Amino acid sequence: MLLDIMQTNEVGGLVIIQDTVDCCGRQLLKGFIHCALKRDEVVHVLGFEVCENEFRGGLDSKFTQGLYFHDGYTDPLGWTECPPLTVHHFTPQDINTCLSQSEQLKTVTLVVDSLSWILRHHSPAIVCQRLQELRRGGALRSVLLLLHSDMHQQGIVGSLCHLATAVILVAPGMSGQHTVAKTTRRTKSGRVTREEECFSVSEDLTITIEAQSSCSGKTLPEPEEYEADPAANLTFNLRLSEVEREAKEKLSLPFVFSQEKKSALLHPRPGAGRILYEPDDNDDFDQEDPDDDLDV
Amino acid sequence: MFSELNSILNTSPENCPQGEFTLVSDRKADASFLIHHFLSFYLRAGCKVCFLGLVQSFSHYSAVSQRLGVSLTQAREKGQLVFLEGLKGALGVLLEEEPSPGTHMLGFLRSPRSDLRELFEFVRASSTVLLSLGVRVGAVVDFAHYCRAFVCSKLQGNMVMLIRGEDEEEEECDEEGAEWLLRALTHQCSLALRVQGLPTGYCRDIHGQMEVFWRGHGSSVTGPQTQQKLFQYKVHDKGVSFFARGTSSAVL
Repeated sequence: MLLDIMQTNEVGGLVIIQDTVDCCGRQLLKGFIHCALKRDEVVHVLGFEVCENEFRGGLDSKFTQGLYFHDGYTDPLGWTECPPLTVHHFTPQDINTCLSQSEQLKTVTLVVDSLSWILRHHSPAIVCQRLQELRRGGALRSVLLLLHSDMHQQGIVGSLCHLATAVILVAPGMSGQHTVAKTTRRTKSGRVTREEECFSVSEDLTITIEAQSSCSGKTLPEPEEYEADPAANLTFNLRLSEVEREAKEKLSLPFVFSQEKKSALLHPRPGAGRILYEPDDNDDFDQEDPDDDLDV
Repeated sequence: MFSELNSILNTSPENCPQGEFTLVSDRKADASFLIHHFLSFYLRAGCKVCFLGLVQSFSHYSAVSQRLGVSLTQAREKGQLVFLEGLKGALGVLLEEEPSPGTHMLGFLRSPRSDLRELFEFVRASSTVLLSLGVRVGAVVDFAHYCRAFVCSKLQGNMVMLIRGEDEEEEECDEEGAEWLLRALTHQCSLALRVQGLPTGYCRDIHGQMEVFWRGHGSSVTGPQTQQKLFQYKVHDKGVSFFARGTSSAVL
């Protein structure tokens, strides 16, 4: 599904790559960009976290004429005189000015590296609103966001993910170079599909899927449909018939002390054993402490 | 400078890396020995160093460096080292005394809701920053970013920063806590050294453990996964020995 999202650049798509301290999602982001550039699309990057050289590093220079890097890295808050791009420029108007640098006719993808920077300086509601405006504006085909999910509250990350058509959560794999991507994709009809894949990014930024985990392609089951009967294949009966119930009620259990049983035990019957005790001379029987003679 | 650490990090004073942002953090342990290492390392490598000491005074760092075979006083006289005494300056600013030259950039201490903009203006003046930060401010992340943008990317210098974690790991994602700061800075850095006390408690022969994370920044293309190694260490009088877990000489 990861490759599928990468290759079909759906109109109005909003893809969020979530990463944490343990696993950086930027390589995957670059893989997405590389893929879009190869399709001869225009990619605009609002880069806040790495410098331009570092960002372009690894991307094939044959395709990079379609890549426009807007430098928010050197001065994201406008501390110097003429900042190229600051977080305060995160408005549809300013972004559209950025986008107008490229040819109009091609499909345009906007990449934000990373949204965490913007979220730290804008309220989440405003960020969500502007993202929606950008998608509706029509200048963009799709938006691709990198988000450090461990830097924000769960609710904020959640509300951003509600906007997205696909959320990719990267996590370190069990061994070696692989990374696990947990993808959740929402189609227009409202169907949600989830998949877990192991992938690796090669030197030239092509992404290969190494393994697919079990829950592939399955939609979330409807709860009614799948309510399995736990008592289906039992080796014993859970319910009693009328006859069985009567028989059960008749039976007296061994620990129940009926009147009969009591009298039978209290009145010695002939032939029943009796205990006779004759103390010998050494016995010093103490009524208070019958266990006196035990060596404890 | 500890040669053992150099071999772990695959560096030497002759072959000094460029554009690195090293984040040193500690929890239930003291990682300042790493700051002393980096200070002497960059001085030996012949880099210009700007040191912002917010935890200890110049004489403290000077005394320790003397033991490691580097004279800070000489370096300062030569102009190789610029030492900003954050500790002394902070007191002056807080007591509102006559401002001595250099203290104006510490004005952030007085106003709680400030950005560390003035510090940034200062840091711009030198090429290699060795920064020891003991103050907890929300704007530290912005400050670190500006330092990185200027020092690491523009000047191809290196930056080292020490931050101190809370003793207990916080569960909540608090936007102002030390844990949050640590996470935010880890996203920025290219190499993270995390020093921790032993989970089993204090020990005479092993002083703690150090996790090394290479986050694969820089121009080199590596996999998305960070590389990671774990060592235990013991601080000696004039050095530190690192060893793999469970292989302390006291045990074997």
